Amino acid sequence: MFRLQDSKVLAVDMTGDAVKAKNGSMVAYDGQMTFKKLTGGGDGIRGMVTRRLTGERMAVMEVKGHGTCWFADRAAEINLVQLQGEKLYVESSNLLATDAGLRTGTTFTGLRGASQGNGLFTTTVEGHGQAAIMSDGRAVVLRVSAQYPLTVDPGAYVAHQGNLRQTLQSGVTFRTFMGEGGGEAFQIRFEGDGLVYVQPSERDTIAGDL
Amino acid sequence: MSGHPGTCPVIFDPMTLPADDNVNDYTFCVELKGSQWFLQKGKMIAYYGGIEFNGIGHGPLDHLVQASFHSPLHASDWVVAQGSGKMLLADRAFDVNSFDLDEGNLTIRSGNLLAFQPSLSLKQSIIPGFLTLIGTGKFVAASNGPVVFMEPPIRVDPQALVGWADCPSPCHHYDHGYLRGVWGGLRGLTGIGGASGEEHQFEFVGAGTVLLQSTETLMSEQDRGAVPHEPGVPGGGASHGQQQGATRLPGQLGDLSRRFGL
Repeated sequence: MFRLQDSKVLAVDMTGDAVKAKNGSMVAYDGQMTFKKLTGGGDGIRGMVTRRLTGERMAVMEVKGHGTCWFADRAAEINLVQLQGEKLYVESSNLLATDAGLRTGTTFTGLRGASQGNGLFTTTVEGHGQAAIMSDGRAVVLRVSAQYPLTVDPGAYVAHQGNLRQTLQSGVTFRTFMGEGGGEAFQIRFEGDGLVYVQPSERDTIAGDL
Repeated sequence: MSGHPGTCPVIFDPMTLPADDNVNDYTFCVELKGSQWFLQKGKMIAYYGGIEFNGIGHGPLDHLVQASFHSPLHASDWVVAQGSGKMLLADRAFDVNSFDLDEGNLTIRSGNLLAFQPSLSLKQSIIPGFLTLIGTGKFVAASNGPVVFMEPPIRVDPQALVGWADCPSPCHHYDHGYLRGVWGGLRGLTGIGGASGEEHQFEFVGAGTVLLQSTETLMSEQDRGAVPHEPGVPGGGASHGQQQGATRLPGQLGDLSRRFGL
């Protein structure tokens, strides 16, 4: 059972069940807990090899026991995500914890990943349960539906879930090279049906200053 | 406001997003209905609808720029958003807030200003690093921590100053008392005996409002170049006007000739 102690600390109440969490993110616990490092992101041998190959590394531990365990990471804001069979796409660096019952994996993101400077692969979380993702400043959750497509700055994108198609839009014109660009040279357009998590801050991206 | 601790996050769509208001402390939503907004480059994080971003130098915008943008030094940092839809603005997870000006004027640190309506006109303040907005309309500013409003007369720490409205421009104020005399001069020169770090303030007098942020961490800003090299322009042509050499510390003996007016 995930709950937010405050916006930067995640509390997980456990009764013999387990969660997967970012390695070293436990800040406190009461009750009986065991911590076990999961090699290769906890995705099994095949997942481990994939993570190695794709550079989408994730140091994960399994926490199991009775009581409450608190997690936090570099004072990042934490956002809870409820999954009912959908797939959540998130950068491994933004994933704090998931229910042990959720499957994690790696997927190809295409050009979006390149425009974010985060590599071409991203982490997926799938199944029924809760996950906690981190953002720089509290994330805004935006719904995408058929009549309302959404355009997002790659630097502010954190995660998305549901059945979404993404396309990379480029606004690079000759004016960009004249130093007269629109300041938003790369954008990701989401279409379909789902949710997008956006943080109020922009990572440094390759196209950051264009 | 979204996401109180322990509750599920609020999910926004174009219908539920506020129009020209804060989504949460760090995110501001602008509604465009065929209208235009000026915004600093790269502060848009997401938008619904069809919005176009163009640099200030974009030809068709000439008329608009002529009317409300009078700050050539900052031209490369600003873009015009036009179209219709809802646009989210944010800046490095700093607090953002919108303010309304009604036939008023406001001067603000250039790095803190995120966006403004074209009904306001942006001019460069004669104080380097500050911009002045004149007219009627809404603007969005970021601050490191919530903004505090104060009324002059007041002395403020230079790092905490965000901007000021309606009152005359500030002057420097130095607390020199304790640096007087030989020992004071020695202390000022060597640092022995310690300095409080609060010897220098900005002093505001007159009627108006002073905006302060609640930390002394400045928001980083880019180098804006220099104002034209002209006689009478403060800060114009960096080296000009500083031929008098190194800054003189209070209580320092100084060159005697200058002291005697020779």
